[in-house]
Amino acid sequence: MVGLSVGEKHFIQGGIAQDLRSDGRKRLTYRPIYVETGVIPQAHGSARVRLGATDVIASVKAELGKPSALQPDKGNIAIYVDCSPTAAPMFEVGRGGEELSTELSVALQRCLLGGKSGAGAGIDPTSLVVVEGKVCWDLYIDGLVISSDGNLLDALAAAIKAALSNTGIPKVDVAADATSDEQPEVNISDEEFLQFDTSGIPVIVTLTKVGRHYIVDATSEEESQMSSAVSISVNRKGHICGLMKRGGVGLDPSIILDMISVAKHVSEQLINKLDSEIAAAEASEEES
Amino acid sequence: MEYVSPEGLRLDGRRPMEMRQLRAEIGTVAKANGSAVFEMGNTKVIAAVYGPREVQNRSQQINDQALVRCEYSMANFSTGDRMRKPKGDRRSTEISLVIRQTMEACILTHLMPRSQIDIFVQVLQADGGTRSACINAATLALADAGIPMRDIVTSCSAGYLNSTPLLDLNYIEDSAGGPDVTVGILPKLDKVTLLQMDAKLPVDIFENVMGLAIEGCKAIANYIREVRTVVCFLLSAKSSISFP
Amino acid sequence: MAAKPGSAPVTYSPNLGQKTRPPIFKDNDLDWVRPDGRGFHQCRPAFFRTGAVNSASGSAYAELGSTKVIVSVFGPRESKKAMMYSDTGRLNCNVSYTTFATPVRGQGSDHKEFSSMLHKALEGAIMLETFPKTTVDVFALVLESGGSDLPVVISCASLALADAGIMMYDLVAAVSVSCLGKNLVIDPVLEEESYQDGSLMLTCMPSRYEVTQLTFTGEWSTPDINEAMQLCLDACNKLGKVMRTCLKEAASGSQE
Repeated sequence: MVGLSVGEKHFIQGGIAQDLRSDGRKRLTYRPIYVETGVIPQAHGSARVRLGATDVIASVKAELGKPSALQPDKGNIAIYVDCSPTAAPMFEVGRGGEELSTELSVALQRCLLGGKSGAGAGIDPTSLVVVEGKVCWDLYIDGLVISSDGNLLDALAAAIKAALSNTGIPKVDVAADATSDEQPEVNISDEEFLQFDTSGIPVIVTLTKVGRHYIVDATSEEESQMSSAVSISVNRKGHICGLMKRGGVGLDPSIILDMISVAKHVSEQLINKLDSEIAAAEASEEES
Repeated sequence: MEYVSPEGLRLDGRRPMEMRQLRAEIGTVAKANGSAVFEMGNTKVIAAVYGPREVQNRSQQINDQALVRCEYSMANFSTGDRMRKPKGDRRSTEISLVIRQTMEACILTHLMPRSQIDIFVQVLQADGGTRSACINAATLALADAGIPMRDIVTSCSAGYLNSTPLLDLNYIEDSAGGPDVTVGILPKLDKVTLLQMDAKLPVDIFENVMGLAIEGCKAIANYIREVRTVVCFLLSAKSSISFP
Repeated sequence: MAAKPGSAPVTYSPNLGQKTRPPIFKDNDLDWVRPDGRGFHQCRPAFFRTGAVNSASGSAYAELGSTKVIVSVFGPRESKKAMMYSDTGRLNCNVSYTTFATPVRGQGSDHKEFSSMLHKALEGAIMLETFPKTTVDVFALVLESGGSDLPVVISCASLALADAGIMMYDLVAAVSVSCLGKNLVIDPVLEEESYQDGSLMLTCMPSRYEVTQLTFTGEWSTPDINEAMQLCLDACNKLGKVMRTCLKEAASGSQE
């Protein structure tokens, strides 16, 4: 945990109240985002996102699997997050790291995968189907926290978005006689890859309430002073794709509605910034 | 299977005595006291050192020396096929122990009594030789954290396939089931601190293979020294520094 | 505590949901009735009873339709030695399912996140600073899963905490809303949850008018959010009254 003296706490709180935070940012300014794609050559897609001292890696792996009987027209997508003990000694095995990992995994699933029926999902699960009811791609998205300085959720969501933009799923040819009940034979192409449409993937904006104000992209020092936090995922259309209150004290409903409108406003800039960073990262990867 | 072609080239195009490309980066984890990324070809590990600091579990405190702890973990995506439950299995417990013992031997623990040093290594990509890469990364991270050491430890592996000693095995060569010798040395003192081998080898060939691994360790030691001198030059710039 | 006659289908196989699926997505089809015959904005009748477990400091049983939940609270008791000193109390929550909770035995998902969600919903309501160095354990067991499990668990847990005499600002009432096509359906049953397009869960302290936990899934536009939140707040208010009555009954019963 972050150990802060009374003076430091007052300094952080006072700074936020005056719209000038300890690192010189305003309340609604993000730290600079650095995106690097293709960091894990063994995965189908990967990206590393740095947000100040927060450093996360996301990788996407696809395996051929069978769609569930309930939803034969949809592929499966799973998101797992792991907090490496390199980020903080408290993430060691059996010491609270698991709890945070589950919380982040569930929050990401909630914010990126949409409802049970798949409506509002960032990635269209129907695009993963190869043969309806028989063969589909199972998408495994793994997040790894390497260095932690607050705002892990936003960074992970950005990394996943970047990793999915970087992902190429091999093209699959199905043998012609796929009409029978048997498992059809498939041929995985080595050369042709399909890209995802990632424009619909939302970004997550976490608003942390400190005192009477809320800030975006809190550092771990600022997070230790939070009274409550709300993570809101917003897509390009300005629709809310998921929301989750992250503990803390109760909030008045009108404050939450205000936070949602602030998040919408912030998300526009964030999406644009992130998209240009991803494009730049992709370009530099192709060059090298 | 043929691991060395008649022209004397290995599967990834290397010569038998050729090492994979090394790359190191210091200071990648901002919050840690010391950290480093070490790459050997496709194998990529990140190490972070926390400490020396107060011992967290009082019952483990040692009154005349520092407590060194180590944890090795593999990322879900580090292997070719995706792993399910990577944490705390027997293999990682064993490697944690090996790394801990190796590093403990070179840290001047008696200078920091009643304190604790944590070394965390995380494998980002596994392509053979993770053990060696972890030790090399841990050395760099310890140096970055400014922890007093007798000497740096460097490690390298060597194997013996198709009647040829091979330096720095990759994953395919490693899983061929042949002998795999991992050596860790203190290059300045010229002492071996770690020696592991699976499978069997005649004694005279073993000497050859081990000699080869030691040569590899020395080459890595030269590289690490180079990295460290450059870092000393650039120490004023606190940002992360990488070396091609 | 018997289930009300005809309140819910006794059993159903997962495939049944498939068959009834098409009508849901006809947005103009407003005559569509919910599986248990309720109106869209009508909650299931709620039944609460405190003192379900004798050995616990406090406990409560809740039944909404076929969702049956039992929560027991232990403590405040001394924190484990290994934990560091803390000048506020600790709250430890655990939610588990019986193997027979789901229609197909042992096939429910593991609901790992429910424990931390319960923790977050309750921590804003409990005055943790009133019992330093101690831990309060909240164990929830879902006897039968009939939809809206987590909201029922949260409401029931706050009642159990009140029964245990833990200091709280207010009771916590929780309600969820499902979005099916263009319709908002309050307090969904399992069948409705399995093909919802989006869901919203809101937990609040009715008398303080404060939201302690709020989660959304699926895509929502601002007017929908406003409508759904109003619906939930209103339902929470009413649920809070039911819970309050239950506590009052228990208190007057023990005085006699």
